[in-house]
Amino acid sequence: MSINAQNITVTYGKKTALDNFSFEFTEEKIYAVLGPNGCGKSTLVKALVNKYANGNIAYVAQETLGVINLTVQEYIELGRYNPGKFFGGLSEEDKNKVMQAIDVMELAGLENRLFDTLSGGEKQRVMAARALAQDALWTILDEPSASLDVKHTSLIMNTVRQLCDQDKKSFIIVLHDINDAARYADEFILMKDGKLVKSTNKLDVEDLNSIYDTNFEKITSKDGRELFYAT
Amino acid sequence: MKQRNLSFIIKLVIAVTVAFAAVAVSCCVGSSNVSLHDTLLYLTGRKEELSKAALIIISKIRFPRAFTSAIVGGSLAVIGSIMQGLFRNPMADPSILGISSGSALGATISILMGTSGVVIGGSITGNYIAAVIGALITWGIVFIIARTSGEFDSTSTLLAGVAISSIMTGAITVLMTMHRDNLEKIYMWMLGSFSFSTPERLSVLAVAAAICIAVIIIFAPRIDVLKLGNETARTLGVKSNTTLGILMTSAAFLLAFCVANSGIIGFVGLIIPHVVSFFRVYKARQKAILSFFVGAAFMVICDTIAKTIAAPGEIAVGAITSVIGAPYFLFLLLKNRRVNS
Repeated sequence: MSINAQNITVTYGKKTALDNFSFEFTEEKIYAVLGPNGCGKSTLVKALVNKYANGNIAYVAQETLGVINLTVQEYIELGRYNPGKFFGGLSEEDKNKVMQAIDVMELAGLENRLFDTLSGGEKQRVMAARALAQDALWTILDEPSASLDVKHTSLIMNTVRQLCDQDKKSFIIVLHDINDAARYADEFILMKDGKLVKSTNKLDVEDLNSIYDTNFEKITSKDGRELFYAT
Repeated sequence: MKQRNLSFIIKLVIAVTVAFAAVAVSCCVGSSNVSLHDTLLYLTGRKEELSKAALIIISKIRFPRAFTSAIVGGSLAVIGSIMQGLFRNPMADPSILGISSGSALGATISILMGTSGVVIGGSITGNYIAAVIGALITWGIVFIIARTSGEFDSTSTLLAGVAISSIMTGAITVLMTMHRDNLEKIYMWMLGSFSFSTPERLSVLAVAAAICIAVIIIFAPRIDVLKLGNETARTLGVKSNTTLGILMTSAAFLLAFCVANSGIIGFVGLIIPHVVSFFRVYKARQKAILSFFVGAAFMVICDTIAKTIAAPGEIAVGAITSVIGAPYFLFLLLKNRRVNS
């Protein structure tokens, strides 16, 4: 199942946050959405969820609002929620998916902690684990590594890469770190002022300069990776 | 801290037992003595073994009052638990949507118009009907404002509720000041009491509560899903505005009947969900069910104190819930802080 976004426009009052966005996201790929603050990245992924969510999309928002008051275990189990099941019990399959997600996100030992008492980074791993437990074809992540340290950023991004390569899952990820994007994503959605500027499978300095209004330089590391930095 | 990890069923059994024990004790206590043995005979259905006087006291006065206070206490706690979940705010309680104030305004208008004593059916009086109508009209206004002010969500509902609530409270104050002769009557109504409980009122309340609480229990798990945010909830098949509309309307109906029965009783809806959380019950459905029985037990105990401590007079039960509830609430807060740190 691909996500074929056609002419999506979102306005907040007079401001057009997303301007006539059209793009077909094809499956078994990792898409990185890049662009400066306020360019409409979060608006885009929210609009995709609102328009195309049909049981095939899992979504992790940028932040949680208010007091959650659930344990880590209960929070991740919500990924297996099924509105058709009145008593809401979990099947063996559900329990396995939850256990796997806890395992993969290295959350063992935190299961009985209250979500609200976790650190920012732990919360983000729990939120990611909840989406993993959902086991959807598509997973849309809005800045999943914003408060993560280097180790856990690679944990999430490597997990995503593995799920894409081995389990044929597809991802759309809003990222701030251009080098994380360059390292893990297959295709890049470059945005500015609510518009899709370009989609490409290879980042280059000119494109980055034009969307971020900065001067980028590129260096190549010893192991052959291209790294971008703003001068 | 071992007892905090007991399974949910055990916690529920304990809460139900305490609630029923409180009802039984409350039936015994009052201006004339009724033995616990007589009360138990009545509650277990062996009415023919009771003396006529005991039967009348229990069936017409004690039992309706004890059960009304149990249902009102339980309902307020259920409403509080779902509101704290829906608004993701531990300070939310049944009064924030203005429904209680709307109900009080209805009763106030009825008292001033002299229709408060008009009998509609048995002990269902004009005052009672006015309180129910006042509550429902208020919820209607809040609902319409919240829906038309953009996206219908918990924030717009909360803001509309707070605004409408203060309008209602202001209107009551104006009416009270303009009609000083009725000041005490209105004030006493607003303070809250179970002394007007009758078998008819209890049956109406019981039916309304059973329906509303059933709907709440059915939809409660969606409250947990909504905590993930509206978009994420949508990916899991939960629509936020439908869920919010159904749950809040059930809560509004339930609250309307509670307030019509007993006036405004604060604090129960705020603290009982916290007590339940303290015993590590967090999921919305389990929390609502356990809140009902803990709230019921708490209210029956408070009412029993309210009717005995200054006998033959009575103290407003709302004062007792605050005086007992607040210190316990603070105790839980401090204790919880120590456990978490």
